[in-house]
Amino acid sequence: MSEPLVTLRDVVKRYDDFTAVKRMNLEIGAGEFVAIMGPSGCGKTTTLRMLAGLEAPTEGEVVIDGRVMNDVPVHERDTPLVWQSLALFPFLNARENVEFGLKMRAVAPGARRKKALEWLDRLGIAEFAERNVETLSGGQRQRVALARSLITEPRLLLLDEPLSALDAHLVIRMQGVLTRLQRELGITFVHVTHSQSEAFAMADRVVIMSRGEIAQVGAPRDIYRAPANRFVAEFVGRNNIIAGTVAPVGPGFGLLRVDTPLGPFDVVADDAPRPPGEAAVFVVGADRVEIGREPRPGAVPCTLISEEFIGSVVTLFLEAPDGTELKVQAQERALAALDAGSGGAFHLSWSPQEAHLLPPGA
Amino acid sequence: MSGAGKAAAGLWALRIWAALVFVFVFAPIFFSVIFSFNSARFPTIPLESFTLHWYQTIFADPDVWDAALNSVIVSSCTAVLATALGFCTAYTDYRYRFRGQGAYLALVLLPPTIPLIIMALAMLAWLSKIGASGQIWSIVAAHTVLTAPFAMAVIRLRLNQIDPSLEAAAWNLGASQWRAMRWVILPFARPAIVSALCLTAAVSFDEFAVAWFVSGLNKTVPVLILEIVTGNIDPQVNAIGTLVFGVSITLVALAQILLAARLSRSAA
Amino acid sequence: MASDPKSRLDLYALSFRLPILVWQALFFVGPLAFMLAMSFFDVKNYRMVETFELKAWERMLTRGYVWDSYFLTLGRAALAALVASLVAFPAAWLLAFRASETQRRWAIFLLVIPFFTSYLVRTFSWLVILAESGVVNAGLGAFGLGPYTMLNTGFGTLVGYLTLVLPLVLILQTVTLAHIDPRLPAAARNLGCPPGRVIWEVVLPLAKTGLVVAALFAFILSFGDFVAPYYLGGSKPPTLPILIIDTTKSGQQWPRAAVVAVMMMLTLFAIAFASIAFAYRKRASK
Repeated sequence: MSEPLVTLRDVVKRYDDFTAVKRMNLEIGAGEFVAIMGPSGCGKTTTLRMLAGLEAPTEGEVVIDGRVMNDVPVHERDTPLVWQSLALFPFLNARENVEFGLKMRAVAPGARRKKALEWLDRLGIAEFAERNVETLSGGQRQRVALARSLITEPRLLLLDEPLSALDAHLVIRMQGVLTRLQRELGITFVHVTHSQSEAFAMADRVVIMSRGEIAQVGAPRDIYRAPANRFVAEFVGRNNIIAGTVAPVGPGFGLLRVDTPLGPFDVVADDAPRPPGEAAVFVVGADRVEIGREPRPGAVPCTLISEEFIGSVVTLFLEAPDGTELKVQAQERALAALDAGSGGAFHLSWSPQEAHLLPPGA
Repeated sequence: MSGAGKAAAGLWALRIWAALVFVFVFAPIFFSVIFSFNSARFPTIPLESFTLHWYQTIFADPDVWDAALNSVIVSSCTAVLATALGFCTAYTDYRYRFRGQGAYLALVLLPPTIPLIIMALAMLAWLSKIGASGQIWSIVAAHTVLTAPFAMAVIRLRLNQIDPSLEAAAWNLGASQWRAMRWVILPFARPAIVSALCLTAAVSFDEFAVAWFVSGLNKTVPVLILEIVTGNIDPQVNAIGTLVFGVSITLVALAQILLAARLSRSAA
Repeated sequence: MASDPKSRLDLYALSFRLPILVWQALFFVGPLAFMLAMSFFDVKNYRMVETFELKAWERMLTRGYVWDSYFLTLGRAALAALVASLVAFPAAWLLAFRASETQRRWAIFLLVIPFFTSYLVRTFSWLVILAESGVVNAGLGAFGLGPYTMLNTGFGTLVGYLTLVLPLVLILQTVTLAHIDPRLPAAARNLGCPPGRVIWEVVLPLAKTGLVVAALFAFILSFGDFVAPYYLGGSKPPTLPILIIDTTKSGQQWPRAAVVAVMMMLTLFAIAFASIAFAYRKRASK
């Protein structure tokens, strides 16, 4: 990572009897696209608002571009925010909305008008410049909000779930607009969202938060492959989380044997000391599970409970003899051959390489 | 009679009753206007001939002109002051959370629940004590207390409709608190501010108890009416009253049209 | 250290918070507090002396005519609140349950108009309408009835009070009833409850708070009004507001007027608290 643009140092945010952010440390590099993700109430929006100066940290420091920002009032920072509600000014037209930041910086009317029209053009909505913002569509309003935030050419842009109100097909389109803009402008984007697909699709790095703390930071692929703890494994979704104890005798070859209610499984060992009898939890992605009709050695016999069909990919929910629920994700075409609809038994298995051990105690 | 027939008869009885209630409410306004154009000195039905005599009389009367001028000054100054105070209070209540907020609001909203005659006596005594009685400004000060709650209520309702991020969005784009007020909150609240001006002006224009007590020699129109009525039945009052109705109803209608316009706009 | 914009108390916050406090202190709390103090002042040689004596209180509380006025005012205002509530209720019912949203909005719009138009002029209009030779008696005369004396009677006062309070009571009742889920009375009817009992058992309990508040407003407004009893009721015997005017305007007996005003305030507070406690009390379990 290059020189960090943003540093959160031991940042704590407490309200009367509730701690929204607990001692957070994070560095964000210049030109990076970072997504902060987590369930509602995890502190992600509070973190973003502290970057914007809308909330003051109770403890710790927020440093932007080498300067401690704790005492800098909101309007003296150049950290524009794209709001969840967009917060467009209803009494101004699209162009006047975009001009607002320049007007507050006392730029002459002619110059700011020209600049606003350039930005509207760049975002492909020049034709709506003089329209009342309340008559624009969701996607057009989104672009007005983006242009309004970018017109001052900030080094850091904050986004607070701006896509949450859009239709699904528009979300994909706006994700493209956002990533392209970010690459072209080289601005740092900090994007808060509760949507995994949004975060994984756009961000260079993803920060997953839970109860005011960072649960994991990493590239989307790393988080997906190797969740750092149970929370992340569950939150990222579509993971089978299987708990057991370390078996007295291991298979060797860098593998660890775990006894579980489903039977013994071999998994790739990690560096942690694993004395026999200790609890061990591993994760198998639903898309890594092999499913068949024929019994195989080491395979878990299951019955089908339900299936979730979302187009080319299908998720099957199955039940093992001991009542554990297992998930399998596969191509619809591959499953058609199994004739899943007719019921009966299925057998699930996975290779040791696909099982990811969670760190002890996580 | 069948059940349905009974229900229909009951519904008609309700409608007639409701119509009578509205007749009762609007009869005095209606007859005041009618009689102002009627030549009879003690008007009744059947009506006598049409006349503009009463209007000519009042337009020729310098007392009426003085009172009208006083009323215009009092109600417009009251409207501006009450709306400004009401706005500040509504904004404070909208934006801030603080200890004693309930007591603060009660202090602002209480005056209209105190009988006017008591306010009148208290104002007269207090203003005499501090040496500010008997002037036009005495009426303005008192009327501002009485009407600020109306302005506060109208503007507070408008601020309820604001996107809570709007003001913060302005700060975030580089506006100081004062400039966000100037460029975001005020433009947003403008329709409510204008209707608050109209409503407070209308209330002040019609108020007579406090005005009568503290005005001294500076009579407003309602105080003039009060004095004429105390003397005798004089159809001049109908003519003045009709004009006063005209002013009040215009102000109230303007206020309501602005309220309705802003509602339909935010619904669009 | 910058703190959260919702609680920060800076020059900006103070410039919006303080003006009304200053204004209300000068022209609302100040006057009322001074009036309370004034009720303990004395008058010597037609001049008010600032002291602390119970003279005015003794004088007023020991005079029969003051208590006559007191109970007359109380009774008439209570009657006005009751009559206004009863008269408005069927109309409010119609507007709430049997009218469209648009009709209801128009009705309320119309009812707001009198609230902002001159009560004084409307009262004068009644003076003409209700006169011995006025519109009403002329109308009744056509049927061979009357003429009836309506002015300078309790009836005249009541008409005046209703002119003042009926639109407000009707608005408050309509809004209250319109907030009741219309399925509840319908469900009660469906369960075989006769219409009269639906009102008594279902609608009134649901609407209690709003109806009591409407009646309370009617009482407060009538209790403090001097125009109706003076011009339509003939001012004999005087109500408390008329007593205040007579005492203030004729002579320098302001402390006595202040006593009457304080009595009125105390009465209003007591009645307002009692009504609101009653309005918000949960129904006792049966």
